[in-house]
Amino acid sequence: MTGTIARKEILSNLLSYKFYVVILLAAALVATSFFVMTRDYKERLADYGLIRPKPGEPIAVNPPNPLSIFAKGLDEAMARSFEVGPTGISVRAGQKSGNTVFAFFPTPDFLYIVRVVLSLIALLFGFDQVSREKEAGTLRQMLANQTSRSAILIGKWAGNFLSLAVPFLLVTTLGTAVLGLDPDIRFSADQVLRLALILVLTLVYIAVFLSLGILVSTLTRRASSSVVILLFIWAVLVFILPNLGTLVARQMVDVPSVRALSEKRQQVWTREVLLRIRGVGDWPSHIKTISAENDALEADYRVKFDRLVKLSKNINRISPVAGFVYAATEIAGTGIGEEGAFKSEVVRYKNAVLGKRLASPDLKSSDYPAFLYRYRPLGRVLTRGALFDTAWLAVCGILFFALSYFVFVRYDVR
Amino acid sequence: MADQKPILKADDLSKRYEDGVLAVDHLNLNIYPGEVYCLLGANGAGKTTTINLFLNFIPPTTGTCFINGIDVTKDPLEAKKYIAFVSENVMLYGNFTARQNLDFFAKLGGKTALDKDDYYRVMRRVSLQEKAFDQRVKNFSKGMRQKLGIAIAVIKDAPGILLDEPTSGLDPKAATEFLEIMAELKNEGKAILMSTHDIFRAKEIGDRVGIMREGRLVMEQTREELQHEDLNKIYIDYMKSAEQAT
Repeated sequence: MTGTIARKEILSNLLSYKFYVVILLAAALVATSFFVMTRDYKERLADYGLIRPKPGEPIAVNPPNPLSIFAKGLDEAMARSFEVGPTGISVRAGQKSGNTVFAFFPTPDFLYIVRVVLSLIALLFGFDQVSREKEAGTLRQMLANQTSRSAILIGKWAGNFLSLAVPFLLVTTLGTAVLGLDPDIRFSADQVLRLALILVLTLVYIAVFLSLGILVSTLTRRASSSVVILLFIWAVLVFILPNLGTLVARQMVDVPSVRALSEKRQQVWTREVLLRIRGVGDWPSHIKTISAENDALEADYRVKFDRLVKLSKNINRISPVAGFVYAATEIAGTGIGEEGAFKSEVVRYKNAVLGKRLASPDLKSSDYPAFLYRYRPLGRVLTRGALFDTAWLAVCGILFFALSYFVFVRYDVR
Repeated sequence: MADQKPILKADDLSKRYEDGVLAVDHLNLNIYPGEVYCLLGANGAGKTTTINLFLNFIPPTTGTCFINGIDVTKDPLEAKKYIAFVSENVMLYGNFTARQNLDFFAKLGGKTALDKDDYYRVMRRVSLQEKAFDQRVKNFSKGMRQKLGIAIAVIKDAPGILLDEPTSGLDPKAATEFLEIMAELKNEGKAILMSTHDIFRAKEIGDRVGIMREGRLVMEQTREELQHEDLNKIYIDYMKSAEQAT
């Protein structure tokens, strides 16, 4: 029975012009996103070619991540130039995309298309699944047979999920294959695996919103009511909750501003310079002190900042959208965790450079070690949060579906 | 018929809605194979509620519905194997062709091994025009939809058929064709429960006719008993007496 209903749903979608409009829209958006983000990536890659340190230069620069085409996340922040000075790190602008329009609009990466547009499309596939059949009277006709309500609900879910997932996967795979033909874009085997995981995650995300659409459809008697309610929920989940969490966390955790931190560093620097002028101690010991105090300030800031980020993330996780974004960016290597690991690596690099400098003041610039950042292994990324967010997303989907089943078995079909 | 097992049986059936309205009041009904039972009554008399109770769309307040001896409330999916349903406005998938609709509902009815010819044969049997077989249903007239609804019931080949005001809104020709098919199904041994407002056709096709008023079966007569009676007058009298009572 479930298969019969799923096939009916697929056929029904294939016979509807709305299906083609929606799929064409999704395909056009994915294609546009790939095109725009590829251009952005290439520009940043060219920029990296220019700012890449010469051998021995104590500068930490990371090349742009090709997976940022799909999930840009914090890749731009990770691709800045971190120059190790006499006492610490000075951050320079890195590979900025030349397209200033990005400053006005959200980055139209694949993640954005999925997060905003595909979630809406999934809701559009689900919003009238029960209420429309109830209005049309076909639900009565179906239930007059030996068809269980669970078979109807599962069949509807499966049919619509396949109707949405298959064209989406086709379009994405085709787009990725075209990207693979570009000589400037090279995906390693690990990155291909990560991309496959992002696609699986995307399917879970679609499933969550489809289940939510069906849930609201079982709670309403009319498809028109269902669509209004779902638009409201969609706006809350996609736009309001993820931003609200950050604001609430800001009120709860006191983190000094970057400017305050900079002023404190300046104070340390001034104090040590004045001490040196007065003839107290030698330069290497002052530099060590400046570096150590700066590191302590940075560590203190980092602890507070991490607390803020952790709290924001946990509040934002109320919305499955946040869970999806966190998991996808971490898997892509452009997430908050990866950025934290990258920054720790930069600090380690700075300490190594300063250590060498202090050990042999006559060191030639060509003797400094080169900076090389290795992304965290996928297994570690998954165990450090991505798996939790994926599981949370799946739990949301199962919960929405279970609730819709609970409501549908009591649904008045008359 | 007493030695036969009823296909459709209502045993002391009552339904009181949440707003307090008693839609069906201690109804007892037995419909046997090869019998057409016509249920007459004004709007709100409880005819459709009775059918909804047989289909387990709503639970009874008291009493039991049996289909082929199976308690509908206890085992609805098993009971529905033995019943087909045609509503007043047969609702189908407008984007599907007649054959696609028939195929879908036949499969839901448990007929999974049918082919195109089987569907065409049934559609011919219910007098649906050949050219309509592969046309989208959204362009169908009410009569054509009704015929397709009967085709769905016929293809299921269930021993019991529930009809909820099936001739309502049909032109005389379509209504006559409909009754001819009902007569055929009756001769095949189907037990048919038909709720209707159409007194003349009820007398024409019904083996028994019952009149419902405020949820109660206030009159029941056989075809023989009605032969020399004016059913229209009986019906009007019952309705008038109801008005006087209120």
